[in-house]
Amino acid sequence: MPAPISLIQARGLAKTYRLGQVDVAALRGVDVDVGAGEFIAITGPSGSGKSTLMHILGCLDTPSAGTYRLDGEDVGGLSGRRLAQVRNRKVGFVFQTFNLMPRLTVEENVALPLKYRGGVPRGERRTRALRLLERLGLAERIGHRPDELSGGERQRVAIARALVGEPAILMADEPTGNLDSASGAEVMRTFAELHGMGHTIVLVTHDPNVAARAERVIQMSDGRVV
Amino acid sequence: MNVLESLLTGLDEARRHWGQTVLSLLGLILGTGSIVTVLALFGGQTALTEQFLNEVGGRGTIIVSDRDRSAHPGARELASKRLTFKDAQFLRNRARALGAVSPGWAQQLPYRVGNTSFDGQVIGTVPDYMAINDIKPLVGRYLSDLDVRQQARVTVLGWKYADSLFGVATRAVGRLVSIGGKHYTVVGVMEREEFYFAAWEDNALEYRNERAYIPISTAIAQHSAVDHLDFLTLKARPGVGARVAQAQVRSLLYARHGVEDFDIRASGQGAGGEAGQFLLLFNFIFLVVGVVSLITGGIVIANILLASVVERVREFGTRMALGATGGAIFAHVLAEVLVVTVMGGLLGLGLGTALTGVVAHFMQMPAVVSPFIAAVSSVTALTVGLLAGLFPALRAARLSPVEALRYA
Repeated sequence: MPAPISLIQARGLAKTYRLGQVDVAALRGVDVDVGAGEFIAITGPSGSGKSTLMHILGCLDTPSAGTYRLDGEDVGGLSGRRLAQVRNRKVGFVFQTFNLMPRLTVEENVALPLKYRGGVPRGERRTRALRLLERLGLAERIGHRPDELSGGERQRVAIARALVGEPAILMADEPTGNLDSASGAEVMRTFAELHGMGHTIVLVTHDPNVAARAERVIQMSDGRVV
Repeated sequence: MNVLESLLTGLDEARRHWGQTVLSLLGLILGTGSIVTVLALFGGQTALTEQFLNEVGGRGTIIVSDRDRSAHPGARELASKRLTFKDAQFLRNRARALGAVSPGWAQQLPYRVGNTSFDGQVIGTVPDYMAINDIKPLVGRYLSDLDVRQQARVTVLGWKYADSLFGVATRAVGRLVSIGGKHYTVVGVMEREEFYFAAWEDNALEYRNERAYIPISTAIAQHSAVDHLDFLTLKARPGVGARVAQAQVRSLLYARHGVEDFDIRASGQGAGGEAGQFLLLFNFIFLVVGVVSLITGGIVIANILLASVVERVREFGTRMALGATGGAIFAHVLAEVLVVTVMGGLLGLGLGTALTGVVAHFMQMPAVVSPFIAAVSSVTALTVGLLAGLFPALRAARLSPVEALRYA
């Protein structure tokens, strides 16, 4: 019987920061497995290490110890350049503060990851961005700047940007943290729909209502999974 | 993302945040503009100095002067009569490498015509003096070889003296003037010589209008106890090198004096006189101003670029999260710097040119923005801009994505 398709396979992840003379352990040996198509929420109080875990899983940060395989590839020994490529191809990020480029239009924002991929012609970048924006109900907004959109719209643009590179996994860090409840609900609906289409989603939140929408919850406390 | 695309992204960014771009531009424009202006004015002054030296004449000449007596002079040195008119005549007859020999004698003597009298300079000289110094009479004639041979009591007046002694300079010819108690017939009046370094400055050549020329033989016979020269200026024959001429003069004079109690140098070497000293100082000040404005410009650029990068670190963090490599971020920042630098350099060139025109007009100074100055200032602006931009770009490229995203 074949092993279940595991997108994320992390063993003994640890992260220690140096603050002046003191070493602070943010992660103290975490094992995580995420299968393709799962919708997972990482939750816990602030300082529990959930953000650090997500940064490592998203290849934004490297662990001090432990091994990490993403989509079958051991990313432990990769150079900064290769890690950038892994982020570009395999991971789509959604941030709490949206992090859209204020001077780019909605369409340009969404197409940005394809620009960094290289080898994707301008026309195709445009087409793919437009297709996604249409799917997320933002077709009339393509020429607008981020500051002309509502918070909910901005976050859906960010989701479109995260999806445009067809990543293996979608990662969101407190995606509803900066939204009113109606917009938050709208964004969560979008995540649920994407999950329904088969996307793998890892979401960090301290909000139990948000975590409740996930299939599985990883509860963090003091740098460990509890 | 290839280099070209990174550059285009940078270009696009520079266009999209105009406020910041303009601010960076301002530093570059002012820096480049001041360099252009300073260089143009500096160049104008240098050209003017060149022109002055040409006007004064004596360029490409050989200057012979008495050497200071040594502390313990030997018998030969004590016996030597130093430089004399006879030396000059000897050189004129024997030194085949020379085209002109101009011995000179100078003294302050009283002038008098009727009731007008004053003390002024008298130059005893020969016809070659006129050729070497590139001067010519306005009316009448200059001194002749015959005048020198006959110790004639004739004089050629400088324009100013002719004017103050006889009312109208051109009426002086044929009249008598008492110089040092002896009567001289005025045979000519020199052209008025003038040269202005700036509109508000006095005529730098006025001293040449305030003198009289008499035959050197007459000067020595009438106004001197001994045959001694105050200056001796030589010019090599066309086609003869200055070194060859100098060597010949040295051996001939050594043979006559029996000791090397004279110095031979090419004009333009050594002390250039008071005017030269002044100009040297002037140019030095200009140079310092130029360098300071350059450094200031560079600091302003670096500062603004650094600030703009810090402000945008989180944006770079996001870009890294989306897959931008450190190299792409580096190219991005550098491209922005490049755009700002090139634009700032060009606008600065324009401003500098305009400023030069205004300064030149109001200060009545000659100043031209030559292609050379344009090239130098453009290259300088580009270098300063890139150096100033390199550090912020490297800094941005080296950040880890998490560091950049968390940047407060």
